[in-house]
Amino acid sequence: MRRRRLRRRRRLRLRRLPLIYQADQPVRGTRLSIKPLDVLIVALSAIALVALSISVYGGPAAAVLVVSSGEQDWIYPLSQDRQIQVEGNLGLTYLHIEDGMVRIDASPCVNKTCIAAPPLGNTGDWSACLPNGVFIRIEGSEDDDGIDATVR
Amino acid sequence: MASMLRSGRPVFNDGGRKLAAFLAALAFFLSTVEYMLPRPVPFMRLGLANLPILIAVDLLPFGAYMALALVKVVGMSVLTGSLFSYVALFSLAGTMASALIMRGLRTVAGPKALSYVGLCVAGAVASNMVQVALARLFVFGPSARFMAPAFMALGLASGLVLGSFTEAFASSSTWLVKVRAEASLSGGATL
Repeated sequence: MRRRRLRRRRRLRLRRLPLIYQADQPVRGTRLSIKPLDVLIVALSAIALVALSISVYGGPAAAVLVVSSGEQDWIYPLSQDRQIQVEGNLGLTYLHIEDGMVRIDASPCVNKTCIAAPPLGNTGDWSACLPNGVFIRIEGSEDDDGIDATVR
Repeated sequence: MASMLRSGRPVFNDGGRKLAAFLAALAFFLSTVEYMLPRPVPFMRLGLANLPILIAVDLLPFGAYMALALVKVVGMSVLTGSLFSYVALFSLAGTMASALIMRGLRTVAGPKALSYVGLCVAGAVASNMVQVALARLFVFGPSARFMAPAFMALGLASGLVLGSFTEAFASSSTWLVKVRAEASLSGGATL
């Protein structure tokens, strides 16, 4: 009798041991270990991000709205309120300038991402309707292709 | 262990087709989840659907891996309704670029030198930069330059989030252990 009980207990213990072992392993493994190349990749991306930001946002104070569609660019002063219509691939995109801020009102696309976007008002701000091929951005000066001049 | 390549990838009887199909289904599902989530900033996406591709870097053979990436693009485009517009081409180019970069990085550096965090950041940044480059070439011209910082920041942030999650998942998943074990068992049988 006693021997049988002992044997059973031993069997139970044997069965239980792997269970405990398995449950332990994931817990030990979950801590994040950062590897050398991770640091390198993240650092390179961060440096690229800073460089890009300086070249785009480092310009003079916001002055004009540049609307591009296809090959053409139109430049509007931010100081005047106005309604603007732009012809794109799919149709007309409607936007307006009000109190120095630009907002897209309507565009003939599926996603309507550009309409949901917050208004633009600072140098380097941009918005786009990709399906319609319309891109709008805020620039500091009226000189359209001289933006890189501010980067040292 | 006999069936493990030097790369540490398991060898599958069926060339990884079944696993690729499962991961593709997972990518579809995660695309749906991502489509449902509200976006604090337009254009911002977490890239949840890339999770299966990230896991597959260390699991699937090259052919099945690229097929998985392709199926993910199609699935995503069907869900967002952009399959037959050129927006789908952007998605295709971005996903292919990130899939190739991640695979390439893994052949250069093993898991000891590079974790999923680095892989994912590299993939996300590559995908976003390729899309900005395409936008510059075909749609918006030089003004696409203005998009670069935002997309770079998004790639870095979403790559860090998804990479950390994948790293935590991969190091604690019993499913992953099972997949590798089953592959090595069946692979051993055919050898």
